[in-house]
Amino acid sequence: MLLVRVALAAIMIVLGATILIRMLAFGLRAETISGIVLGAAMVALGVHRIATIARLRGVP
Amino acid sequence: MAASTPNPQLRRSVTPWGSFSWGYSDVGADIFVGLGLVLAAAAGASNVAFLFAGVVYVCIGLAYTELAATYPVAGGGQYFVMRGLGDIFGFIAGWAVLLDFTIDITLFAWTAVDYSSQLLPALVNSTHPWIHFTATLALIVGLCTLNVIGVRESTAFNGFVSALDVLSETCILCFGFLFAFRPELLIHTMQTAWPSSYQLMLGTSLAIISFVGLESISQAAQETQRPASVVPRTSIALILTILIFALAYSNLALGMHPWHPIVDAHGHAMAFWQIFPNNPDNQGKAVALLAAQVPIWGALAAFYVPVLGAVLLLISSNSGVFGSSRIAYAMSSANLLPSIFKSVNARFRTPAVSILAFSGVAVFELVFAAFPSLHPQALTIYAHFFRNETGLDFLADLYAFGAATSYSFVFLGLIALRLTDPLSPRKFKIPLNVPIAFRGERAEFPVVGVIGFAGIVSILIFTLFTHPIGRIAGPSWLLVGIVLYFFYRRHRKLPIFRSQPHDWRKSQVEILRMAGELELMDEYVANLKASDERKAKAGA
Repeated sequence: MLLVRVALAAIMIVLGATILIRMLAFGLRAETISGIVLGAAMVALGVHRIATIARLRGVP
Repeated sequence: MAASTPNPQLRRSVTPWGSFSWGYSDVGADIFVGLGLVLAAAAGASNVAFLFAGVVYVCIGLAYTELAATYPVAGGGQYFVMRGLGDIFGFIAGWAVLLDFTIDITLFAWTAVDYSSQLLPALVNSTHPWIHFTATLALIVGLCTLNVIGVRESTAFNGFVSALDVLSETCILCFGFLFAFRPELLIHTMQTAWPSSYQLMLGTSLAIISFVGLESISQAAQETQRPASVVPRTSIALILTILIFALAYSNLALGMHPWHPIVDAHGHAMAFWQIFPNNPDNQGKAVALLAAQVPIWGALAAFYVPVLGAVLLLISSNSGVFGSSRIAYAMSSANLLPSIFKSVNARFRTPAVSILAFSGVAVFELVFAAFPSLHPQALTIYAHFFRNETGLDFLADLYAFGAATSYSFVFLGLIALRLTDPLSPRKFKIPLNVPIAFRGERAEFPVVGVIGFAGIVSILIFTLFTHPIGRIAGPSWLLVGIVLYFFYRRHRKLPIFRSQPHDWRKSQVEILRMAGELELMDEYVANLKASDERKAKAGA
């Protein structure tokens, strides 16, 4: 279960970063803001999940 | 045969994952309903509508997280507002939440049937309205019966379905964004299919229904051990997950190259989002249609997503039946509703009166929503008075109104509680606070609360402006409630516009003790003592 949760969090970070990069390739404009926020939120959620798991497992 | 029970307490046995899945099975199902409606209304700006509503939702989620961690009681918004602003405002917020719960029952049962119709064409509303109506009614009556006799889905079942759904949605997004998403197509769609201001406001007001159900955070808080520590952790993951799915689906729908070509009646190629305007059947099962168009995974998703969606929506519908009885119980205990709503059936030990009453309202709403499709002659009346709003539109209208109203009051409650109750320890605080002095105490003014309030009030204005039924039926519901409240309070010889006396200090100590937050309880008692000493010194 732990492995699945870490894997999902890692997928979230990779996918979020991919979306972020693909959207940023078109520049910071009104049409890309929603995609940029989406990518950033995905990276944030992945990091939050991994940090939470690490904290609960006592990883420094 | 009804008998009152002497204040039974809920067992605190919900785990962090249980707390997350409780919220997820409630709020997570909303995107299954909201996506199609928003795509139909806001077209090329659907992702912008979701972004605006999503930002407001993050503020609301943070407000609920702070309030539920500080006051872990099941009353939720109604309790926070009553404590912050007084009895009558607590009643209005609770009454708006009750409206949402009754709509929740009907709307989610309706869309559970819509999702099932993807695999069972006999359930399609436009071609078989009577079968669709009967199936929805049967679901509502079935859920009501199960709740009356005391059968609820277990936390483990909720957890299993939520885990399956998170996994499934992640796979859909992975395959969708890696193999079908074209950023240039998204930009092209946004430039060529940008809606009018009216449609954008309509879409934004509908987008908020994808983020309704945060009451579950406070309901879970009451049944979680050490909620001040657990609730913030699970809530932040919940808020981000829901936001991501809403933004991801809307961006994908606008910028997706469909796996299977979609053509109109004349054989012309269509973009994926174009299958939603003027097609209520598609609007009710948008996620299943999108999943089927995702390359590779879509072959499998076409079969299981309608089933998974229907199960998740049914759980959410059930939470409407269960939640309305629980809120009514909390309101009745606070003398905001007659005591009959907290009576427990002697045989089944469930709040049967509340369940039957609010399920009855849900059935009435179903009949009103389905009437034009059952009797097409009624369409002229609906067209004349309600701009043809029927079925899903009508339910979504009221859902948006109830959510925007109750959330507006919750923000006011948050701000008021920060000022009037600065001594309660807050293990989680919304960021961006301005330190101020208020009535001799140091308080922190929540800037995010003001931003969120402005956002949700603007959505409430959009709702009133763009929803012909919402602006009539919504305020009418509130008006009827206020009249009932007036007569009830007068009958009980309780103050109508003022609050009855509450000993919040004593009740807060009791709340923290019951939650197992003994350190916070000690901190609170110490804060009270120090404050009293300060005031005594100042008085001397």
